[in-house]
Amino acid sequence: MAIKKVRDIRKASINIDMTPMVDVIMLLLTFFMLTATFKAAESEAVEVSLPQSIYSDPDNKMRENDVMTLSLTKGGDVFVDVDNYKVREKVFGDQFAIGVYHPDSTSKSEVELKGTVGNKEVKRKIVLLNKASFEKALVDCKTVLRSVEGNPKAEFQVVIKGDKETDYGIVEDLMDSMHETNNKLFSLVTIIKADKKE
Amino acid sequence: MAGGNFDAPETGGKDKKKTKAKGVHIDMTPMVDVIMLLLTFFMLTTTLSAPQLMKISLPKGDVKDKVKVDMGNVLFVRVSDKGNIYFSNGHSDGSESPMEKTDIKNVAKQLESIYAQNNNLLLLLKFDRKMKYSVMSDIFDEISRAKIEKRYAFLKMEPADIEKINAAVG
Repeated sequence: MAIKKVRDIRKASINIDMTPMVDVIMLLLTFFMLTATFKAAESEAVEVSLPQSIYSDPDNKMRENDVMTLSLTKGGDVFVDVDNYKVREKVFGDQFAIGVYHPDSTSKSEVELKGTVGNKEVKRKIVLLNKASFEKALVDCKTVLRSVEGNPKAEFQVVIKGDKETDYGIVEDLMDSMHETNNKLFSLVTIIKADKKE
Repeated sequence: MAGGNFDAPETGGKDKKKTKAKGVHIDMTPMVDVIMLLLTFFMLTTTLSAPQLMKISLPKGDVKDKVKVDMGNVLFVRVSDKGNIYFSNGHSDGSESPMEKTDIKNVAKQLESIYAQNNNLLLLLKFDRKMKYSVMSDIFDEISRAKIEKRYAFLKMEPADIEKINAAVG
């Protein structure tokens, strides 16, 4: 009898109404499920620490597909990546390949020497490019995209993900190549910084 | 968490009322557990802060196409390898006014005040090749925030420009 009495008291004190909590959690869950955007692991092939900016252009957002990413690393390498595997296969010869261009002819590419960016290993197949083949790849990507999508007006949105520590010389060389290959419009990717009080 | 142990109903009229009251009570613990797991999963996998983009357009036309610009409508923006920013106005006869050093925080305000005097200005950006990329994005941030008509061109930093900067510093 003594045992039964103890259990009764315990049961009475533990019985909490969880309905409001479940309601809130359900709301949160719905919110996160609807806002979730899943990133394929391949899209983050190279990690760079992006610079911050205050200005944000509401009309200029990153597209969800047909994006060409040019990542500039601290070591001065330019990684060319497109988010369409068919284009990658035709331009670089492999579905998961990524192009690397080292504009500075006086030094060697970090990836070519060590296979890493910073301390992180690049897991994807690397295609080394020189200035001519880099510019050819930029042009090829566009033509292949148009033939793959069957849309003669298809364009990549070109975004530059530069590391804060990259030398401007790399950007200058890159802009030269972009100008020559008729990629006149591109965007710099930054992280938003909270506006300072004025 | 609340256990789902119901007492087995005992026979008798007194207990019948008790069973009826408990029939509405559903044990939500397993459901809450699963929802919590899902919630944690979605919270950890989402990337909420979408990256910002700063649009830059290069001039149309070939490299060979020369554009004639009145040097009186030109503002030189030179940035040294250390990230120091220097402004100087061009004059119609090809010369330019002495360089003024500017802090990155004042670039937007200064541009606005310069443009208030001459609205047809063209920014000529000369960045040192050894400058950091973050300085470039900072300057574009400021140019984008300034309420001016955005016209700019990238020029190569010539040795003469570096000499001018050194002369201004020294």
